[in-house]
Amino acid sequence: MSTNKRKLLNSYHVVFLAQSSMFGTGILTLPQRLSSLGYSEAFFPLLLGIIASLTLWPMIWIMSKYPNENLFRINELLLGKWIGKSMNMLFIFQFTLFLAAIISNYMQLIQTTALPEQSTTIPVLLLILLLIYIVNGGIKSVARFCMMAFFLTIPLLYFLRWAIEKGDVSHIFPLFNYNLKEMVEAIRKGYLSILGYELILFYYPYILNQKKAFKHALLGVWISIILCLITTFVSVMYYSEWQLKNVEFTVLQLFKAGELTFIERIDIIGMTMWVFLVLSTMAAYLWSAKKGLDSIRSKKNKLHIYIIAAVVFLIIILPYSHEIREKLFEVSYYAGYLLIVWPIFLSIVHLLRKKKVQQ
Amino acid sequence: MKNRKLVRTTIGRPSQKREQNKMKDQPEQPIEIIKKHTSQINDVIYKKVLTDDGLVTVIYSNSLVEKMTLQIMVLMPLANHLNQIHQVSEIMDLSKLEEIYFKLISGYTLLYFHQTNLLVGLDTYSAPSRTITNTETESTVIGPQDSFTESLETNISLVKRRIRNPMLKNENRIIGSETNTNISILYIDDIVNKENLETVRSRIDKINYPAFNDISILKQLMEDNPYSPFPQFYLTVRPDSISHYLIDGRIAILMDSSQSAIICPTSFLEMFVSIEDYYNRWTTASLLRFLRFFGFFLTIMITPMYVSTLTFHPEILPYELLLNLQESRAKVPFPPLFEVLFIELIIEVLREAGSRMPAKVGQTIGIVGGIVIGTAAVEAGLISNILIVLVATSALLSFLPPIFLMSNTSRFVRYIFILSAGMFGLMGQMLAFAWLIAHLLRLNSLGTPFMSPIIPRKAGDLKDGIFRFPITFLRNKTGISRSQKK
Repeated sequence: MSTNKRKLLNSYHVVFLAQSSMFGTGILTLPQRLSSLGYSEAFFPLLLGIIASLTLWPMIWIMSKYPNENLFRINELLLGKWIGKSMNMLFIFQFTLFLAAIISNYMQLIQTTALPEQSTTIPVLLLILLLIYIVNGGIKSVARFCMMAFFLTIPLLYFLRWAIEKGDVSHIFPLFNYNLKEMVEAIRKGYLSILGYELILFYYPYILNQKKAFKHALLGVWISIILCLITTFVSVMYYSEWQLKNVEFTVLQLFKAGELTFIERIDIIGMTMWVFLVLSTMAAYLWSAKKGLDSIRSKKNKLHIYIIAAVVFLIIILPYSHEIREKLFEVSYYAGYLLIVWPIFLSIVHLLRKKKVQQ
Repeated sequence: MKNRKLVRTTIGRPSQKREQNKMKDQPEQPIEIIKKHTSQINDVIYKKVLTDDGLVTVIYSNSLVEKMTLQIMVLMPLANHLNQIHQVSEIMDLSKLEEIYFKLISGYTLLYFHQTNLLVGLDTYSAPSRTITNTETESTVIGPQDSFTESLETNISLVKRRIRNPMLKNENRIIGSETNTNISILYIDDIVNKENLETVRSRIDKINYPAFNDISILKQLMEDNPYSPFPQFYLTVRPDSISHYLIDGRIAILMDSSQSAIICPTSFLEMFVSIEDYYNRWTTASLLRFLRFFGFFLTIMITPMYVSTLTFHPEILPYELLLNLQESRAKVPFPPLFEVLFIELIIEVLREAGSRMPAKVGQTIGIVGGIVIGTAAVEAGLISNILIVLVATSALLSFLPPIFLMSNTSRFVRYIFILSAGMFGLMGQMLAFAWLIAHLLRLNSLGTPFMSPIIPRKAGDLKDGIFRFPITFLRNKTGISRSQKK
């Protein structure tokens, strides 16, 4: 299979792809996920950011060894056809589940805020159709959409104003009043919110300036981390420790603090605007999953997008118990962690094989 | 292509006959053949004139050649200075009958010299043309007031008058298999992007369409995405507009018997640019641009917002405002979606009726529509008066874009938003908005992204985007034209 030789992505595309694929629904629950740390969570995204930067490095390293291949192809090259292909299958399953998890989480949220007592089947369908429309335009279309999504939703930050005014700044000073167990718990739960930057493993071959890709991706990652930091800061300022643990969708409630004379519930507008962020995250995942299916079937076909989208739709729509669904999504999250460390493993295999070849 | 075949087959037979009759009466034949084929074209006139060179038959089409032109260019020289005719005329090949035929219907006067068996042609085409008048569709307060007419020559001369530059080229082509319409591609050779020019040429060559009554048909056939509701090329009747974009490195296409001209490539932002912006002070121009640009998004958002707020999220509004709204539509029996669709469609009907009416009846329509329907409908309790305010505002906003096609687009897109708001409230509206953004991002104009420079091919273009910076900042060419000069 010849991977695409055409280089499409400029530097700013890379920045915003890395940024937007991280910044989806995860951020909404981030303060709650980190709540085991209490008020000390305010600075915690920094640590997550450092971990992200450290894991980004082996990704770029292994990709720079194969500048024209994506991860699916590298898997096959390094691990042999069968192990590689089964690994790829696993990743595609993970992406599909992850997509379903994002949509169903988001739609639950919409159902509670914007569309109470309404079935979400048709909105889900429309969302997926829109997603297909974006992904059909290729990675460049996805990158452009990510960029627009960022600039369209960044004004939402303004609505945090009231939460800051009402909050207490003294909450944010780090107290280090947590133990290691609580910290590991926070990383385990909170890291989910910043997953997404690993997709560079799939769009790396399309990057124009691959030497600077690390720098650009890092910039994107840190834009997201700073946004996370703002979120946790404001949450910590506004809420009590008990509230942080028990209020669902903490960020959403932050918007509710807003007081405009002509709009009462800013959270509904904020939540529906969030569809841009959700779409940009999912578009990147769907595109990667499509590439995976391309490489498994060894041919390019637009149909692959529709197949994956249909599976995602079925996972969301089919009636099975809430527990099984949650379990499935949980599995996909942990498989996501696997993808983060996978490049380190691949790098070791790469070095070993290189030695073998040299001998 | 089709008509040529037709001509060939009908011509075939007589020419064979000519071969047979060659021996009997040779010199009379060509005239007879032409006569036979123009027997149903009754405005073709044959005049026999006796000159120094013997008998000459003058053939011309009465409706295409003015009497004056004929007198000065043909008849007077024929009587006095026969040499002059031989010098300016072109000799026709008698065997290429279809060519002769084509010349005749495009306004040539043919002269057949019986003695020497020679057929010559003179271009005496004198098209009926109107004078250059003010533009009615794109009028401005400041700036030149002349606009294009339906004559290609006049239009080209209007542009060339503005750009006195030997590098300004115009390539003429004939398109339309039935109408054989003249078009002209204008560009400045040392500024235009050659790749763009090649694209334009090849797209025009590929077009296979019988009739072109207006350049907007050519535009639809040439655009990158013909299914999109958005126009991807600029359409204007103002020569100063054309000149402005030509200097920026764009390509203009003019067509005979069409008042407007195409400019390509164009970006989404430029759809909100009026040439008058450059004549105004930069402060005024910036304000107006800002209004036009955000007016577009407001006009597609205002009424859907009403629908979604009242149908799904009344809790968004503060208590007093909600009370106010509910009071105004207390008597209204319809759900907000139908209420909005009803009044939007009435506005649409008013607009359409107003533009089709004779001007004198138009005023009556304004009174009937505006006062009777507006006030009476509210009093009858069919619609709320707050909605009337919103609809009127959005109707006014939809006329802000200087290109009429763009204002039509905003009308259409608004219905998508109203319907999606009626189905899923704000969620539906945001989905529609996401579609709009995704669609705009995927559009191209002549292969260049339509959203340029927002997808920054060139961040410097933002100086001439939603705001217009003072003229001294605007010396560079824009990114979308990808011009040779910077």
